[in-house]
Amino acid sequence: MSDPVTTGGMATRPQGAAEPVAEAAGAARGLWSDALHDLVRRPLFLIAFAIVGVFVVMAAFPSLFTSVNPEFADLSRSMERPSAEAWFGYDLQGRDVYARTIYGARPSIVVGVLAVIAATLFGGLIGILAGYFGGWIDSLLSRMGEIFLGLPYVLGAIIILSIFAGPRSGASATQIMFIVVLVMAFLGWPLIARIARSSVLAVRHSDYVQAARGLGAGPARVIFRHLLPNALAPIIVMATISIGAYISAEAVLSFLGIGLRAPVISWGVAIADHQSLLRQSAHPLLFPAAFLTIAVLAFVMIGDAVREALDPKLR
Amino acid sequence: MVYSIGESGSVLEKTFILPDGPLLEVDDLHVEFHTRDGVAHAVNGVTYSVDAGETLAVLGESGSGKSVTAQSIMGILDTPPGFVTGGAIRFRGEDLLKMSKKQRQAIRGESIAMIFQDALSALNPVFSVGWQIGEMFRKHRGASRREAKKKAIELMDRVGIPAARKRLGDYPHQFSGGMRQRIMIAMAIALDPGVLIADEPTTALDVTVQAQIMDLLAELQRESNMGLILITHDLGVVADVADKIAVMYGGRIVEEAEVYEAYSAPAHPYTKGLLESIPRVDLKGHELHVVKGSPPNLLNLPSGCSFHPRCRYRQDRCVTESPPLHQVADDRRSACHYWEEVINDR
Amino acid sequence: MGRYTLRRLLQLMPVLIGTTFLIHFMVWQLPADPFAGRCGERPCSEAFIARMTEQFGLDQPFYIQYLTWLKNAVQGDFGVTFNQVPVITLIENSYPNTLKLALVALAIEGVIGITAGVLTGLKRGGFIDNLVLVSTLFLMGLPIVVVGFAMKWIFWSELGWISPTVSTEVRWSELIVPGFVLATTSMAYIARLMRANIAENSRADYVRTAVAKGLENKRVVGVHLLRNSMIPVVTFLGLDLGNLMAGAIVTEGIFNINGIGLTIFRAIGRHDATIVVPLATLLVVIYIFSNLIVDLFYAVLDPRIRYE
Repeated sequence: MSDPVTTGGMATRPQGAAEPVAEAAGAARGLWSDALHDLVRRPLFLIAFAIVGVFVVMAAFPSLFTSVNPEFADLSRSMERPSAEAWFGYDLQGRDVYARTIYGARPSIVVGVLAVIAATLFGGLIGILAGYFGGWIDSLLSRMGEIFLGLPYVLGAIIILSIFAGPRSGASATQIMFIVVLVMAFLGWPLIARIARSSVLAVRHSDYVQAARGLGAGPARVIFRHLLPNALAPIIVMATISIGAYISAEAVLSFLGIGLRAPVISWGVAIADHQSLLRQSAHPLLFPAAFLTIAVLAFVMIGDAVREALDPKLR
Repeated sequence: MVYSIGESGSVLEKTFILPDGPLLEVDDLHVEFHTRDGVAHAVNGVTYSVDAGETLAVLGESGSGKSVTAQSIMGILDTPPGFVTGGAIRFRGEDLLKMSKKQRQAIRGESIAMIFQDALSALNPVFSVGWQIGEMFRKHRGASRREAKKKAIELMDRVGIPAARKRLGDYPHQFSGGMRQRIMIAMAIALDPGVLIADEPTTALDVTVQAQIMDLLAELQRESNMGLILITHDLGVVADVADKIAVMYGGRIVEEAEVYEAYSAPAHPYTKGLLESIPRVDLKGHELHVVKGSPPNLLNLPSGCSFHPRCRYRQDRCVTESPPLHQVADDRRSACHYWEEVINDR
Repeated sequence: MGRYTLRRLLQLMPVLIGTTFLIHFMVWQLPADPFAGRCGERPCSEAFIARMTEQFGLDQPFYIQYLTWLKNAVQGDFGVTFNQVPVITLIENSYPNTLKLALVALAIEGVIGITAGVLTGLKRGGFIDNLVLVSTLFLMGLPIVVVGFAMKWIFWSELGWISPTVSTEVRWSELIVPGFVLATTSMAYIARLMRANIAENSRADYVRTAVAKGLENKRVVGVHLLRNSMIPVVTFLGLDLGNLMAGAIVTEGIFNINGIGLTIFRAIGRHDATIVVPLATLLVVIYIFSNLIVDLFYAVLDPRIRYE
């Protein structure tokens, strides 16, 4: 299942994975430059990074890659096979599959990245607050997180989306994307929160945090100067790996008919639109599927490399 | 010499005439560890032996090669990185190092057994202690589950575990440290081995429990006439039970002696240093001597005598010339150029 | 063990109540008109609204509504679809197939994942090890939708080995390809988990003890090492059963397997929330309970947990 809650957790070792060694804030900078040093020596990381770079450019400036209008439909060319003229052939409506695949990068990647950002900001905040204040605040926030973790990702999304964004709600493309992002973040935050909480707990009682408090630093200063830097590494690892999982989840939701849908052009939508035509010709489905796979794998590989680079235990 | 039959009396193959020589003999053993930083010379020509009914204490700080030697005898050295590169280990005259894997496996547990320092991690956490002791009988002797259970209860009784029958199904973590070590011992003596190797058996235990475990080992040894190799870094522990001691340093034996001789007049500066570092009531108020400096780097052993950087009897010759094992007396050897000076220096 | 079970059961209650309450709240309280857009293309019929209102006490205060809903759910009454078909009938017809599919997937991921993990864990750094490491990363990243269609395209369109629709009897042999699709991600994860466990435990003292006991290598690895290394994997497999059933929606949709997932998939297509919501809720509850069972199983496997 393309379930960010599980897929995301996968590449990291379960639970304890994200406990960084309690380090002084000063050492954290060393950690980052060490990690960067380590990353640029990994060919797999560099390849994945280049691929992601291409996709980002594709999402930002699709017209650089194609001059064909992805909406232009010529029914007489419906389902035509790939040719020199149209590299990926034409889809059922007679639209250029190559152009649609290029233009499909934007919603797929934007949804994935935005959902991760939203989940990370919210989850990180909750986790740090829970870890910092402890006591009943921690209990309350942790129990809340557990409730959300109890919902399998896709099921939760199905329930919410089928209630609020049913196909009859007449939402525009931007609105649909917004709702999908919101739902994904809504279901994804507790995982990040848990990681943030455990890394805060790891250093909350350490001497340098106690000292900062003793010197009169307020909660905000302690959190931003001392706790956040320590929690950052595991959160970033989790977030990077999650981007791939979220892009993949978008495709699943679109396939099910409750995620993105026309007029949005995305890889998931292309797969959903052509699933029943697999026998006649596979190209309108296979090319977007291939792009989706490559993008997801690139993000997962980056996440995996970042995790190895940032995990002091693996060095 | 007839090797005594074990208590069970069922093991006929153990009753045979031994060829000349000791029960277990380590002869010029060399062990290397191939690490990323280079080759560590962990054991460099160790020779010692133990006879039936005899207790040999092998003394030395960590890294001296005492445990590695024991692991080589058992055939449980981690390979790689560890490799036996030379020498022989003879059990009843036969070289273990020349045996097939199958032959060695048949000897492990059956004829030579071993107990480890930390019984909690050395016992499998997910099987009951009765199961783990019984496994010896089921796998080596083909005993049925019921027979194995019966034997396990007998053994647990023998090593002094109260209410053995009731505790058979308990797991290692449910026992106290001392009781766990007793279980470890029960497992090791299950098949009446000829030689028992105890690798720091009491280090992880409380002082009072330490004495109990040592008494138990001594008692079991008397009963079954085993050869006992007691590996420890603690001179105090072995004084009462050992017949002879072998002191190791930097992967070599530096002194070998009857235990009371070594205690009364050490013939090597390292042994002397170890003895002086034991706090003594009659010398209260005197300064406590410790062996200064740190253990040798096995990747790059000091030239000449490996102990020379820490030695107070050092002379120029020690830096260049590695001392042989001098015969000090009949049963006594010392690897020091100036052993006479050391032995007479009171 | 009894006390442990009780404690786990008590810990489960807040999560169970919280989750069901959350769903209930979203379904019946949040929308201004809970019946708007619930019944497909047409508005809900008066008869349906009346029946649901009465059965679920929709005119009562919301906590009573929740309790009514909970009481009904515990008794296996999930209401009716707008065609007046009891939801429980749909479940009875489709659930066995979903379970079958999940079991096939579990068997596939267990066998392949554990084998790969043991082989690589015992011999690290070799060619096979690196191959498995790279391919597991690949498998973990592959979107299930893509795997599903790729397999269907290969085995149906190109090779013609399978039919596009699994028959109504749902034979075990028909579930192999869908089961493999459903198992891809977990398979890779199990391989990695097993590899890490074997690698870590093979250095454990008790393994050395087992060797020192004079046991055959086969027994040292197969009993002492494997038993310990299997604990987290079995836990994962148990957890995954709930996950796989929940995740079968895509797989059942692609291969047309008449299970809960396909029922949900089709209901989504018909915009029938009266089916989607109770079925999804049921899967959630099953998922939560399977977590509990796994915890108990974990305690059976690892005696250290039981006596904490």
